[in-house]
Amino acid sequence: MKSLPRLFPAIVAICAIAFLGAALTRSFSAGDRARGVALEDIERLPVSAGGRTKPLDTFARSTLVRLGGRQTFEGGTPETGVGQRPATEWILELWTDPAAASERRVFRIDHPDVKSLLAITDTKRTRFSWKEIEPKLDEVVRQAELSQRVPRKQQDPFQKAVSDLYGKLAEYAEVRSLRTPYVVAPLAAGEEWAPLVSSDPHQQGAQRISDTAAARAFQAILVSYSTGDAAACERAVASYTAELHATLPREMNAGAFEVVFSRLEPFYQSSALYLLAFLLGCVGLLVSPISPDRWRPGLFRAALIVIGIAFVVQTFGIGARIYLQGRPPVTNLYSSAVFIGWACVPLALLGEWFSRVGILTLAASLIGFATLIIAHNLAASGDTMEMMQAVLDSNFWLATHVVVVTVGYSATFLAGFIAIFYVLGGVCTRLLRGEPMKALPKMTYGVICFAALASFVGTVLGGIWADQSWGRFWGWDPKENGAALIVLWNLLILHARWGGLIRDRGVAALAIFGNIVTAWSWFGTNMLGVGLHSYGFMDSAVFALAAFCVVQLALMAVAIVPMARWRSAS
Amino acid sequence: MSAASDLLRRLASLRLTVVLFALAMFVILAGTLAQTEEGVWSVVDRYFRSVYVSIPLRLFVPSKIAEIPGVVPFPGGLTLGVAIFVNLLAAHIVRFKLAWNRVGMIVTHAGVLLLLVGEFVTGAFAKEGNMTIAEGQTANYVEDMRASELAVIDASDPKDDLVVVVPGSMLASAGASPVASGLLPFTVRVVEWMPNSQILGPMQASKMQLAKATAGLGTQVAAIEIPAATGVDGASFDVPAAYIELTRDGASLGTYLVTPRLTIPQSVEAGGRRYQLSLRFERGYRPYTVTLVDFRHDRFVGTEVARNFSSLVRLNDAANSVDREVLISMNNPLRYSGETFYQASFAPDDSGTVLQVVRNPGWLLPYISCTMVTIGLLWHFGARLASGVRRRIS
Repeated sequence: MKSLPRLFPAIVAICAIAFLGAALTRSFSAGDRARGVALEDIERLPVSAGGRTKPLDTFARSTLVRLGGRQTFEGGTPETGVGQRPATEWILELWTDPAAASERRVFRIDHPDVKSLLAITDTKRTRFSWKEIEPKLDEVVRQAELSQRVPRKQQDPFQKAVSDLYGKLAEYAEVRSLRTPYVVAPLAAGEEWAPLVSSDPHQQGAQRISDTAAARAFQAILVSYSTGDAAACERAVASYTAELHATLPREMNAGAFEVVFSRLEPFYQSSALYLLAFLLGCVGLLVSPISPDRWRPGLFRAALIVIGIAFVVQTFGIGARIYLQGRPPVTNLYSSAVFIGWACVPLALLGEWFSRVGILTLAASLIGFATLIIAHNLAASGDTMEMMQAVLDSNFWLATHVVVVTVGYSATFLAGFIAIFYVLGGVCTRLLRGEPMKALPKMTYGVICFAALASFVGTVLGGIWADQSWGRFWGWDPKENGAALIVLWNLLILHARWGGLIRDRGVAALAIFGNIVTAWSWFGTNMLGVGLHSYGFMDSAVFALAAFCVVQLALMAVAIVPMARWRSAS
Repeated sequence: MSAASDLLRRLASLRLTVVLFALAMFVILAGTLAQTEEGVWSVVDRYFRSVYVSIPLRLFVPSKIAEIPGVVPFPGGLTLGVAIFVNLLAAHIVRFKLAWNRVGMIVTHAGVLLLLVGEFVTGAFAKEGNMTIAEGQTANYVEDMRASELAVIDASDPKDDLVVVVPGSMLASAGASPVASGLLPFTVRVVEWMPNSQILGPMQASKMQLAKATAGLGTQVAAIEIPAATGVDGASFDVPAAYIELTRDGASLGTYLVTPRLTIPQSVEAGGRRYQLSLRFERGYRPYTVTLVDFRHDRFVGTEVARNFSSLVRLNDAANSVDREVLISMNNPLRYSGETFYQASFAPDDSGTVLQVVRNPGWLLPYISCTMVTIGLLWHFGARLASGVRRRIS
């Protein structure tokens, strides 16, 4: 029993690796079957949507996410088992048995007025089927048309909700009619990606069905799937796949990898591990008065190992996205969140190596976890690997400016979080007595120095990109201004400290305010809906941002408590 | 201690630095929020390149919550920039000491001074305009999208056109008083001036709107005023419009609608001669020509998202014996004769290109200054980090 604290980190590490191993096994296993057909090969079939070639699995998942916020649907048959079923099964059902598919509850509706518009009395339920909405379709269209006369920014929540629902219904209809995605692959020279069904340009209202080899192969798959001839369906899939491998080898290999990537969900796994590490660290802090030499180091070492494993998984996820997209890691708001967390973790661990106070382990795990949660919430547009607008299409500048400036944002957040730990831990607990009370302000200061450097260099690289692209080094665009605010704020803290205007407590309070500045530059400027840089389109996050700012201000108020009242003060 | 050195010490104070940073942040925040209701260029002039600015308080509270009246007078970007410049210079004069561990900071701050100078030079001397060319056409002028002019053209001479222009700003401020000049064949009275406008087609406009003009195209289409373009809208700019009445010897020649949105000039007869009349963006003519050979605009399959744009142009400058083809694309501008041509936009239906033409004598300064600041900071913080690591290891 005595050696348990020493063995504990190893035990935790084995558990974490076993957890990952289980996820890996699931990802590489044969996968689900529907109507007796193995879905795996169908999931890998390439389609083109949003300008990107992707596996059908990704398209089906992202469509379900846009419609209902989930990557799976509730359905299935008694043979396959009823419950959450894979997205590809849903899209196959939509194409081969639309009547059955219309009963799947894939639309998420939250607004009570929209529900009452649809004459839905069950106010608790949030997911609805096409069949439930269909009787009121004309009314939804009319309401959406009324709403669209009002500019998006001036719409009230009902108008936004009904416009959104209309957009979802239109998308559903597009997909159901096989106009989206483009499923007909270019097998012969001179062909391009095309939809199976399109409007006939020569005859008003008529449809035209593509008649290339790929179109016939895809139809054969759907026909045999709908008649329930599993063997014929698998044969059709195999022969089409063989042709695709011959003509589009890169897309097919990347697609197969992407299917595994989607199943593995590396960011989900690492967020779970970061949470575990955070809990281990918290317990470590709590037991430190009782067992400062045995359980405390054991728990912190375990937390550190779990963070290390989570970091490796996250790095794999980022690397996989780089491979799949052929782009540097940060291309949109979603990936910026993933990357900010990823950059903070090693910085925090470096700080931990300097200070050895344990708190930075906690900070690392919390930031890793929180940023992945934020990223998850930013993924509502479905496919997070969308194509880039022409002006942003420059791997060199994405790799330099965007990465460096994102590291600058990360460091500013990290400084703010260390300061929060310092303030809360110092005022409310005795856990920071002694060395940590000196080490944490030093770390905050050091991270701010780094943040000033990275945010300045990153911002300037952005200016140089702008000068190269449209001849304006600095355009006072909101996103540029946001970056300038972060640089100025970091410089303000440094100069105030050098001038002796503030000391440890002051640095901490101002570093916490840095969280507000960074959050505003990261999200707030996008909420203004302004400028070339507004890569993320946000609507509902305003409230979350406001709440975050209020919490930060409250924490700053805590920092103002005189040092004599701090429980950790010696 | 002399009064001068006392003043210098005060100017060099770090407390002042911190205050100036805080003020600068506030102006930047206000100038960003102001872009939700104002165009970016008017914001830049009013907030960032001004001596002082009146900041409306309503910017800081969403209009849905409350509409707060009143303004705060505040030092503008120019004042703050100069103050930071002086503060920094004074600090280095007072505390100057050449030592290895200070070299990083000296280089950094010298870079910052240069950055401030660079932004000042850009604000004072940089010129931006657009060159719009249809495929196969040639242009020899750059349009300033922030200023307009009323052009009256006498094309009776087959060799050269005689052009008289009235600045749009003069029309905008004319009010009821007529604009007259010996060079103009008629007097111009502004009936209505719209800083930003939109055209209503024959089916959209009401009878009353069409009756505002008594001659020319304005009898078939009408213009209505719309709110000024805001920074929020991105690259958009205001397109003015005016209803003007022309008179000669006391007799009216009719009320015309003029706006850059009408691309064909209108014909006016005065004193037995024909003139072409148009309100257009202010033109600056160049001694060379640019011909658009081919414009390409590729989209991602099945979407309207631009994959890239590029313009193949022929540059012709006879005086300097230049006659060559150049491909201008996103992130690959053409630099010629002190100006830089960027691929900015395109005409509807991809029938032509819009190039942004920039002349900025200070364009190189930020590059130098940034290199200095980066090297300085790396030196300074790197040295600190290295000593920290040494301490930690020992």
